[in-house]
Amino acid sequence: MRDRAFEVLLAVTAALFFYLIAHVFLATPPAQLAAGGIAQKILYFHAPAGYAMYLSGVACGIASALYLFRPSDRRDAWARAGAECAVAFGLMMLVSGPLWGKKAWGVYWTWDPRLTTTLLSVLVYVAIVVLRAFSGGGDAERRFAAALGVLGTVNLPIIHYSVRLWGGNHPTVITGQGGGLKHPAMVQSLVLGFVAMTLLAAILLILRSRVALASTRLVRLEEAAAARGALDT
Amino acid sequence: MQGTETTTPSERSTEFVPVEGGPETTSAEALLVAAYLLMWAILLTFVLLSWLRQKRLDRRVAELERALGTARP
Repeated sequence: MRDRAFEVLLAVTAALFFYLIAHVFLATPPAQLAAGGIAQKILYFHAPAGYAMYLSGVACGIASALYLFRPSDRRDAWARAGAECAVAFGLMMLVSGPLWGKKAWGVYWTWDPRLTTTLLSVLVYVAIVVLRAFSGGGDAERRFAAALGVLGTVNLPIIHYSVRLWGGNHPTVITGQGGGLKHPAMVQSLVLGFVAMTLLAAILLILRSRVALASTRLVRLEEAAAARGALDT
Repeated sequence: MQGTETTTPSERSTEFVPVEGGPETTSAEALLVAAYLLMWAILLTFVLLSWLRQKRLDRRVAELERALGTARP
């Protein structure tokens, strides 16, 4: 039943992405030249990717905090999956943003507060992924990674509010006061992008946490089998 | 001959001088396509890495089953 629900989620997400791409390229008008002209259409994937990074980071942070409070393999698996997904979505955002920035600002990168805090956050999640990949799955490594996971999540609100607190070049179009998208199709594309990317984040988080949990259980079984002399290594 | 203009040697460029504030040379369309391609490439790489990790796990499970003598036919 759970697998069936997952397959439905997968199909709905795929259909939504096809519709989103068609809507962005065929129905949504480009923005003014000062905002990048047609390059502004990067927004409809760039901002949702950032949002998906927040979601993955929050999943990592909550699971990490719970792991520090009471360790379990499931919590560790979710923390690891959250960090991995945050890196993937963070890279999507960091790659697409500069290409839009080149047209809108004239430069690929500037040390704007939001860009800098975002880069810092992605690097924290990269550190977790690298740590878990190369240092084994001992309790100390897991706890250290969990502490980093909490740190990465604490940085997320700073990214979000950095635009308003410290200014910079990054636009503040998407706000709680309704936003600055001046065409209904623009709003529809962005909302669709957020929904599609949220579903994608959920799918990837579920998949990666399952793989991480299976990997941990397998290591325990291999150790038990080796202790009983069933395995050579 | 349309589209070609012949210039005398004295009219040809003999140096390249950087221009500030000149006409835009970066195509917005090219940047848009590059952004979308790179984003999907990152996503597909992530899915591919997940699939490879799953395959490695499957192989290790099969080895464990064989070692324990409980491999299913």
